[in-house]
Amino acid sequence: MRSTTSHAAGSGAARFRQFLRNYGWAYAFIAVPVLLFLVFTLYPVGWAFVISFQKYGILKSTWVGFDNYTYMFKDDVFWKSMRNTVIFTIGTVPVNILISFGLAFLIFQLKQRAQTFFKAVLYLPTVASGVTLSIVWIAIFDPTPSGMLNRLLIQLGLDPVIWLGQKSTALFSLMLMSWLGSHGSGIILYLAAMGGIPKSLYEAADIDHASGWKKFSRITWPLLKPTTLYLLVTGVITSFQVFISVYLMTQGGPDFATTTIAYLIYQTAFNFNQFGLASAQAFVLAAVIVIVSVLQFKFFSTDIEY
Amino acid sequence: MARVEFKNIVKVYEDEKRGSFTAVKGSSFVIEDREFVVFVGPSGCGKTTSLRMIAGLERQTSGDIRIGERVVNDLHPKDRDIAMVFQDYALYPHMTIAENLSFGLRNLKRPKDEIERKVKEASSILGLGDMLSRKPRELSGGQRQRVAVGRAIVRDPQVFLFDEPLSNLDAKLRIQMRVELAELHKRLGATIVYVTHDQVEAMTLGERIVVMNEGEIQQIASPTELYNKPNNMFVAGFIGSPAMNFIDARIGGGQALLAGGTAFPLPEAAARALGAYEGKPIVLGVRPEHIYGEAMAPDRAGSAKLEAHVQVVEQLGAESLVYFRVGERMVTARVHPELPVALGARQTFVLDAAKLHWFDPQTEQRIVF
Repeated sequence: MRSTTSHAAGSGAARFRQFLRNYGWAYAFIAVPVLLFLVFTLYPVGWAFVISFQKYGILKSTWVGFDNYTYMFKDDVFWKSMRNTVIFTIGTVPVNILISFGLAFLIFQLKQRAQTFFKAVLYLPTVASGVTLSIVWIAIFDPTPSGMLNRLLIQLGLDPVIWLGQKSTALFSLMLMSWLGSHGSGIILYLAAMGGIPKSLYEAADIDHASGWKKFSRITWPLLKPTTLYLLVTGVITSFQVFISVYLMTQGGPDFATTTIAYLIYQTAFNFNQFGLASAQAFVLAAVIVIVSVLQFKFFSTDIEY
Repeated sequence: MARVEFKNIVKVYEDEKRGSFTAVKGSSFVIEDREFVVFVGPSGCGKTTSLRMIAGLERQTSGDIRIGERVVNDLHPKDRDIAMVFQDYALYPHMTIAENLSFGLRNLKRPKDEIERKVKEASSILGLGDMLSRKPRELSGGQRQRVAVGRAIVRDPQVFLFDEPLSNLDAKLRIQMRVELAELHKRLGATIVYVTHDQVEAMTLGERIVVMNEGEIQQIASPTELYNKPNNMFVAGFIGSPAMNFIDARIGGGQALLAGGTAFPLPEAAARALGAYEGKPIVLGVRPEHIYGEAMAPDRAGSAKLEAHVQVVEQLGAESLVYFRVGERMVTARVHPELPVALGARQTFVLDAAKLHWFDPQTEQRIVF
């Protein structure tokens, strides 16, 4: 009996050594990103969750229970920024998806060389930093009559507009920037997906009396649904976190007309030093994003395979 | 149903980089009403291009295509009254089987009860009844294949086109589907044009077979005629498995002198017909099943004997394949499994004199007599 036990223990140790020999390096390589994730993502997130129940001070923090959350839900600015974020998301994500799809559809009809050219050109803005783009757009939205967009309006016989400086047009201006901004990833993904639809499906549809519109609506669009869903989910997530353009172009103004949740979190934390409240806001934003994403998957997911 | 006619059809593909490539070099043929015709040949021979031109998925460079009484040169695929089964089935992945089957009829805006009836009919013919609400990915390869055939049946077209429909199935399923397709043809009495690279499929399914190579039609004939009277060395080598053996030979003094030194007297008719080749090279073609071991040769086989060293023997149970060399060429004999054969031994084989084929080595055409 005893010998059996020691034999088992011995073989256990031997097995572990064998395991290390076989997989040791693999685990070592995995360990690096896992550690980075633990230290720089998971730990701060956990810590922020704790802070959201505190009145946080650098030297001393006090527990305040759900005070930060109740304060937030009573705060007009929070609801305003939530509203702005939702309007911005609804106003940009579907439009951007349609623009990406439209451009991809046009490019897909071209010859290979022309396709490569347009893919590259339209992808470039994706590589440019948001800061650079925002600075260019500040020049475009210049409120004086010599501003680029205003000059165009004057040419058309219209009055110049204070794009970013008035409540009625500020959020719209940020949305306009998003519409005309980067569709590179969307285009590339749609093009790849379009290329992945077997040509024989269209030939079968030709024989099946399908019109051009039928082929589009009954074959192309449904088969691109997985790509559309992906763009929808990632688009909504990115849009809920819109920050750089707000920070650089409007600072959330005028009169909170462009304050988004992400900008509000930044302001609460770094302008008003209320880290506890900012953490609570961040967790509510995260919860909203998770709920919206789950709903999108539930209503739009497909089981397409081809 | 309808007949299909090709008149001097040429198809040239223009490519910026590779220049022009002629896929079909002037084919003419008639597929009769209700006939099952198989196009067969190696890949790139132009068989699929020919089929796609019937479908209207490719436009011929010149020549006329007729389906029934109509010239269909400029007609869109949907107006040609054909149905096609694709190699990859081309089922719409996001539609149910019922939707797949009815897509064409719905596009034609046929009445609902008619669509329902036709889908029901097709699915009962093909045994798809309980799968109608499933998606293609939930079906096995064989079932998808049936759906693809079903989609063609509900359309009730003048001509059915099949583009290598069995090539994605495993061997067992392929044999089963082959039988089902043959039965379906009998049941529907349809004109079927079927493309395959598999000569066994062609032989078993086709009432007539069109053998193509490098864009040219080599021969159009029934399976038995292709086997017994191939037009040329390509057809002779392509049809039949294992392939026909070719042996270099010369004709001299009423005798055939084979490479490697064997000689045998020619039957009278052959000697007369091959007189023009006296002293010239010629190619002897003989199928593996027409070479016997001397001990088991039937009396009628005649006296065309040759001796060779056996190099490889493959025991297949019902038969044995014996490989030996004659001159430069490897020759295969399909012999009775009980024939005593020793590896490396010198053995005498008998060629069935009535089954020999003679080919002109220059033109590769069979010398007919």
